[in-house]
Amino acid sequence: MKKRAGVQRRGGAEVKKEKIFVCLLCFFLLLVFNLFPVPVLAGEVSQSELDEINNLWRNSAHALADVNCSSCHQNEETKKFVAKPTHESCQSCHEDSVDTFLLGKHGIRILEGLSPLTPAMAHIPMKESAMDKQMNCNTCHNVHSVNTYPAAVDSCLTCHNDTHSLNYQDSKHAQIFADAGSLPRPNEESVTCATCHLPRQKINQTTLVNHNNTYTLLPRDRMVKEVCMHCHSVEYAYNSIFDDELVEANFARPPTLKLETFELVRALEKKRSSKVNK
Amino acid sequence: MGKMGSNLGRSFKPAKLLQSKFVIIGIMILVLTWLSGAIALDKRSVFLPGETSEGHVLFEVSCNSCHESFKPITNETCTRCHEAELATDAHGAKKFRDPRWAELRENLDVMTCTACHEEHVHMFGRGVHLKPDLCMACHEGVIQGDLASHNGFAADGCWTAGCHNFHDHSGISTGFLRQNLDKPDMLPKPVLPKLTVTAELDTPPEPDLSKEFLEGKS
Repeated sequence: MKKRAGVQRRGGAEVKKEKIFVCLLCFFLLLVFNLFPVPVLAGEVSQSELDEINNLWRNSAHALADVNCSSCHQNEETKKFVAKPTHESCQSCHEDSVDTFLLGKHGIRILEGLSPLTPAMAHIPMKESAMDKQMNCNTCHNVHSVNTYPAAVDSCLTCHNDTHSLNYQDSKHAQIFADAGSLPRPNEESVTCATCHLPRQKINQTTLVNHNNTYTLLPRDRMVKEVCMHCHSVEYAYNSIFDDELVEANFARPPTLKLETFELVRALEKKRSSKVNK
Repeated sequence: MGKMGSNLGRSFKPAKLLQSKFVIIGIMILVLTWLSGAIALDKRSVFLPGETSEGHVLFEVSCNSCHESFKPITNETCTRCHEAELATDAHGAKKFRDPRWAELRENLDVMTCTACHEEHVHMFGRGVHLKPDLCMACHEGVIQGDLASHNGFAADGCWTAGCHNFHDHSGISTGFLRQNLDKPDMLPKPVLPKLTVTAELDTPPEPDLSKEFLEGKS
């Protein structure tokens, strides 16, 4: 009995060795595949697809600005055809937009030399159908029509699935946007996702769109000064934006919060004016 | 437990000694391959000392985004991305180089980002981790009788209550609130900056490169 057990044990050790060998082999295979991934070949474009793209482009601001296929799909120096241009191609004209995009959560992984952000990496609810989408300029923008109307709301809702985002459609802000109709780009009265999260900023007479989507998130009062106060009073905006429930409801009702800050400031004003009057 | 078990085995069954050596060497090899694998495969998260803050977590595996070997983090590391947020820094270098305020730097090294912000040390969710009552290093008097209206306020309430910001104070300062007080909820006319695009051509040109697309060369 003892002998048999000994034989069995030795057999067990050999099996273990084999297992370790298999494990190591798999590990090194994985390593090799990770270091040298199989290159993905760019697919050909059919004539009908090309016609559709050309049509979108013909009616775009790009076409009238003399931005042709080669402006993005051809390397300026080597004249080599580029099937899938990256953010760097956009950056050559839209410097501010791309530079700011790279600083926000949406773009920071690209700036740091990592793979682009995907909704699967997010810590907030995202749509199941969008988990693999890679965040780049053309994830939100149709680069051929360059119509920023869909990029203002629809693109965001392709991925974002949290209550604040989903409640936008029923908000008063959404109503204003819907009433404005499909303009080439959201007008000054439209309030879209982009209005607040990718705010227009006036710097040296030019208006640019700050694509750093994290910029107006924290501290919350930054959004008040940069965005809300274009249309609302400071008090109305503060009492809304510091009410978590109202933020989640996407500002579906007027604010009910009364921040003590304003009472303090009013008391201070009273004190000052009474001093002046004396 | 594993070590104890193998020790027991060693004292009773000499045959197990060999086996346990293999086990020990095996474990060492596994740990080594695991670590070198982590480096080779860029799975650097195994080296993280703690929870990374909400924004930085997205690129936490890119250690050298912020760390240069084992050197301490400098302010330049932070301003590489956060220049815009610090453009109107109320507690910036300009203020504390002034001899009137320079003395306060002894309470807290305010000119060094990492004096307040401790990355990979989770405290609570707001930007890069910091202690909520840091203002008290210099402003303790405010809640202890120096300012009647603020007497008895909580030490961590300065910004958690949404009243003050350490860096960008421009939209929340008393002066700003006073200036903008008592305006109607809805301003008479929205003043969102207008975005205009100027066209260079009257009609679109002919698309170039069609042939390249159909051939799909890259």
